Amino acid sequence: MSARWRYILAEAFSGLRRNLMMTIAVVLSVTVSLTLLGASLLLSSQVDLATDDWVGKVEVSIFLCDGSTCPAITEEQQDQLRRELEEEPVVAEVFYESKDEAYERFVELFKDQPNLIESVDPDILPASFRVRLQDPTLFAVIAEQFEAYPGVEEIVDQRQVLDQFLNFTDVVRNGALIVAIIQLIAAGVLIANTIRLAAFARREQTSIMKLVGAGNWYIRLPFVLEGVFAGLLGALVSWGLLYGTVPRVADNLSREVELMPFIGAYEVLLLGPWLIGAGVGIAAFSSVVALRRFLDI
Amino acid sequence: MIRLQNVTKTYKSKSREYVHALQDISLEVGKGEFVFIVGPSGSGKSTFMKLLTREQMPDQGEIWVAGRNLGTLRSWKIPALRREIGYVYQDFKLLGNKTVTENVAFALEVLGKSRREIERRVPEVLDLVGLDGKENARPHELSGGQQQRVSIARAFVNNPRILLCDEPTGNLDPTTSVGIMKLLDRINRTGATVVMATHDQQIVDSMRRRVVELEDGAIVRDQSRGVYGYTG
Repeated sequence: MSARWRYILAEAFSGLRRNLMMTIAVVLSVTVSLTLLGASLLLSSQVDLATDDWVGKVEVSIFLCDGSTCPAITEEQQDQLRRELEEEPVVAEVFYESKDEAYERFVELFKDQPNLIESVDPDILPASFRVRLQDPTLFAVIAEQFEAYPGVEEIVDQRQVLDQFLNFTDVVRNGALIVAIIQLIAAGVLIANTIRLAAFARREQTSIMKLVGAGNWYIRLPFVLEGVFAGLLGALVSWGLLYGTVPRVADNLSREVELMPFIGAYEVLLLGPWLIGAGVGIAAFSSVVALRRFLDI
Repeated sequence: MIRLQNVTKTYKSKSREYVHALQDISLEVGKGEFVFIVGPSGSGKSTFMKLLTREQMPDQGEIWVAGRNLGTLRSWKIPALRREIGYVYQDFKLLGNKTVTENVAFALEVLGKSRREIERRVPEVLDLVGLDGKENARPHELSGGQQQRVSIARAFVNNPRILLCDEPTGNLDPTTSVGIMKLLDRINRTGATVVMATHDQQIVDSMRRRVVELEDGAIVRDQSRGVYGYTG
């Protein structure tokens, strides 16, 4: 390492040590804001996971009898049902999902929860017609018409199930996001103030540096790095916190809430670079802004 | 080396009146010259010095220093300008937590000079200013004259072409001042241009060098081998 870089790093770390209390405050505030930000992002990916494209497209599921609770649907009845669904004006699209396909999708959806997959017999999942409507609110029309149809086990309004879930998660996620942004702004202001104090404490040294012709960035970089190190530390702590808690919470929830896929450690790991980027970015930005006027030539 | 052409610098006072710190100043200082800038407090000496390091910009006129037009100099090139200029202050401006050697080496470190060059050059300069034996002392353990020698060593360690001294003997007693002037004279003889703002009459009179007198922001006298006051 050159003498130049040694100087810059030594200055940055001595600054952090000298302002230990402020450093702790900065790290904590970055940690809190990034943990909230991370939580809201994870909630988003949880929602995406639970409402994959396929489920999102389908508004009505018509589950077909396989003989376990009601007399199995015959091929004729099934063809008849399909034809009538397709002729129905409110229906936009009809897909058939066989028992095998239903199981395949189930396996794909719950790949993070192998226990659940093992406990499910491929035979238990019913075949179904998946229906997309011209107007999603017209569920009742379909339900009334086909409920008593021979071979139909159950008709489920997916939208209703989904909407309740989405409304809840939206509120939680937006709340977390708003608090996270406010916290992030507070963290940025705190960093800017800390860096300004640090620059003020060392104004004699920096004025001499300017005098002997030290480059601008050579003077500023120790201060910026001071902020960036604190931001990085905060990001790493928040990543660690999320990694330690989220998979465990998701695991517990997956035992409570049946038949819903949950995010796991993998998603939290993927989040890491984003948290670090946000922490370092906000710290660097605040530091540079704080120094703009203070250390001008 | 230094050229000012019709330079005017105005400040706005608190009562919103304009105060001319410098008014239509034109001056040329050649390579290797030794120039005293004299005049009472408030005559514009400090403003003059600050304009040369581009700490301030003139309102009108052109300034050339070491071949650079300061009016068109990009701000990222200011450090390069300052590497050509050594600056000595009345109050020394040393870092109290660093030793003599470290204070002088600091000026080279921040320019990214190699360790080997620093280790070669710093003792050389400390020897030149007469501080050998004090290498590991801290500023508060030194007398005022010795501290000023450290600050001169720091200003000169980078071999600048110009040495600007703002009242370098202002805080020193007459005997010590003579020693400092001998040192500046020696540095001047190595080829460096020295510009020194002062109102120390005794020193100006004893040196018999070029004297530029400022009064209310205007040059009222420019005399080679001059003295502090008028000789007629």
